[in-house]
Amino acid sequence: MANEVKIGDYIIIQKQNYKKLHKFNKSDSSISLGRDTINLKGLEGSPYFSTFKLLPKTSRKNKEFTIELADEAVKLKDEIDIKVSGNDNRNILDDGRSQKLSAADIETLKSDSNKASDIVETLISNSNTFHNKTEFSQDKYLRKKEKKYFEYFQVVKPNLRIISEIMYKLEPNKIQNLRIDTLSQIITTVNIHCEGNHLLYDSGSNGLVAAALLSVIGQNTTGKLIHMHPGNMSQKQALLAMNFPEEQMSRCVSVNVYSALRQFYQGCDTHKTADTEKSENGTEENPLKRKNDDDIEEHQSKKNKQDDENKPSDNINTNIDSETPRENKKPKWHFDNIAAAELLHKKMDSLVIACKEDPQNIFSELVTFVKPGRPFVIYYNVAEPLQQLYMTLKAQSNVAALKLSCNWMRNYQVLPDRTHPEVMMNASSGFLLSGYVLNK
Amino acid sequence: MSFRSYKDKIEEGDTAILYLSNNLYAIDVQPEMKNKKGELIENVYQTPFGALKVKTLIGAEYGSRVELSKGWGHVLQPTPELWSLTLPHRTQIIYTPDISMIMLQLDLVPGSIVLEAGTGSGSLTHALIRRVRPHGHVHTFDFHEHRSKVAQEEFMEHGIADFVTAKHRDVLADGFGEELNGKADAVFLDLPSPWVGVPHALAAIKDQGGRFCSFSPCIEQVQRTCLALQEYGFQEISTMEVLQTEIKVSRRTVPVRDLSFLKQKSSTSPVEEKPSSETSYVVGTWPQSTPGHTGYLTVATQPPYARSKAKKSKPENDDDKSSSENGDKMVIDETV
Ligand SMILES: C[S@@+](CC[C@H](N)C(=O)[O-])C[C@H]1O[C@@H](n2cnc3c(N)ncnc32)[C@H](O)[C@@H]1O
Repeated sequence: MANEVKIGDYIIIQKQNYKKLHKFNKSDSSISLGRDTINLKGLEGSPYFSTFKLLPKTSRKNKEFTIELADEAVKLKDEIDIKVSGNDNRNILDDGRSQKLSAADIETLKSDSNKASDIVETLISNSNTFHNKTEFSQDKYLRKKEKKYFEYFQVVKPNLRIISEIMYKLEPNKIQNLRIDTLSQIITTVNIHCEGNHLLYDSGSNGLVAAALLSVIGQNTTGKLIHMHPGNMSQKQALLAMNFPEEQMSRCVSVNVYSALRQFYQGCDTHKTADTEKSENGTEENPLKRKNDDDIEEHQSKKNKQDDENKPSDNINTNIDSETPRENKKPKWHFDNIAAAELLHKKMDSLVIACKEDPQNIFSELVTFVKPGRPFVIYYNVAEPLQQLYMTLKAQSNVAALKLSCNWMRNYQVLPDRTHPEVMMNASSGFLLSGYVLNK
Repeated sequence: MSFRSYKDKIEEGDTAILYLSNNLYAIDVQPEMKNKKGELIENVYQTPFGALKVKTLIGAEYGSRVELSKGWGHVLQPTPELWSLTLPHRTQIIYTPDISMIMLQLDLVPGSIVLEAGTGSGSLTHALIRRVRPHGHVHTFDFHEHRSKVAQEEFMEHGIADFVTAKHRDVLADGFGEELNGKADAVFLDLPSPWVGVPHALAAIKDQGGRFCSFSPCIEQVQRTCLALQEYGFQEISTMEVLQTEIKVSRRTVPVRDLSFLKQKSSTSPVEEKPSSETSYVVGTWPQSTPGHTGYLTVATQPPYARSKAKKSKPENDDDKSSSENGDKMVIDETV
């Protein structure tokens, strides 16, 4: 991926610690950040990591902005000169009357000023208490205001780390609470790397697990991934957001689990043209399939609040999946099923399951495709189904080194003399059951 | 040679991992070994379940069962994860829970160039190599000459030497070397004063930017490293801890005590009853004792402009020392 923003790229817009995934699909596309709408004209062609300043289109009030390339984000603290501070807060009484401006005054101030520092400076000069506050609390106040009025954003290249963070923060339940540290364990537990054929069953991570595995399989390597899913269309959001080149993306074969296994066991689809097939098998299956596809898509775009720009990404899904019944031509999924079945016949080097269903049947069916000596891992967001599966597997003898584990992660605030764990932590990130397949 | 590619069968010269009721052993698959007198004798590996003639492993399929006089085990092909659990310790090592997160935080993919100091026992190095090959490269440094040499030999024996360069070098005193300036996608430090290495990381990371991570057991190390990262223009500085706990699964039978019969009068009125029946659950037991701390991971992004900015601001800093010592000045953006 090139180092400049191109049309068609997924990009990350980062405003302070807030990150948003956006499909940059035309040079003047707009993005909404909080209540603001920002026109991204001028972004195209700029190098990743560039900083842009938000410029109000008319006044700040209507919350529409254009952008201008900036050298770097100017910090409020550098723009505002604070002359005095107190030593401690013994004289500070928060009675809600320290601000001389009325709420209405502040509203006018906000919509009339074009610069964040003007607003904050006026607020400060009308505060009775600001200059009595300690330097520490002044700092804290400015940081709070900065968060509110911050006028800069940075454009960043998406990668697994950022996408995983964004998805977990935004809607953890959409990815089964799969937190970044647990995701990182999945990758290593099953030894995914540039080689080998890897099998994934995923029924609910918006493509995050597939994105993780494919990213460490890498560009211009030999590794392949079968991405099985239970629906008619795979969830690809995270996969698409990674901007994988075609060469890499094509080594991820996304297939419906029913079709792929039917193909494997019954071998009904062959490389014949659609015409001959129609006459042989009847036409029943295909129309049904298309219909369901549409349903899921609507469903998806309704549910998906990740980005207003989600429509285009759905369009992409459609495009990928509907190299569909053009005349005489078989849909892409038809060939994907055949490719997946062929890989399954060669046997797989790892198995990853991240599911919503009971993992028991899924595991016992899919494990038969894994070569002896190779690892597997199952992610589930509560422990009980995995405990049950553990007992079942213990009683059989086709796996070794069974291990049920749980990950824990804590972030820290590190500041001179004020270092401590973050006040809030993400306490939920599911469980992993892992082991190695044995030679029967 | 069994570290490089997937294999189906064990060959002479492989390292094979023997899994024996929750214990792991790394076995050098050589039919013969030298005894104390320097004579070649048959290689017999002693396990708690009896002796294993290593020769018999040759040709066996990975994942298959190995019979021992007092039981049986299974042989597995080594992965960096299994290696971390069986390798000979020459130093403290980093284990898989941290390793996994380190690699994800460093944005490593096949093709990445990553620098590591110190090499130590090569536990992390094996995982880094696996992640960045075939087009990437690991440059690993240790100022302990013997460790560096042993590590390099190990990479040769494991058949992965072409993806890694192990050098004997004091990275804090001498940096990563001219030839690596602007070459790295990521820099990782596991040594006692990582903050001293920050300017060297700054020099080594590519023009378009990259990632930094240091692993430190103590919070004081973290504080100094964060200050250095601020000073040199890194962004998204963040510190975290990750742990993994293994949960023991078992079926537990628990007695059921019935109290409801007490509502009615009955002929006998005991004060002590045997539990009336039993029920059973599959339970997960959290360990009595489990790792509670390994090290803090401090990660940061080096943006493309950090290097030129650091150059510009350097003379200033020298004149006006207070600006680099004013802790508050450094903290304003990255905390909330
Ligand atoms: C804890 S060990 C690293 C373990 C390693 N991460 C692993 O997982 O096996 C730290 C190593 O850093 C090396 N070291 C300490 N200071 C160094 C320096 N200034 N330059 C290079 N290596 C250094 C030590 O010799 C030691 O081998």
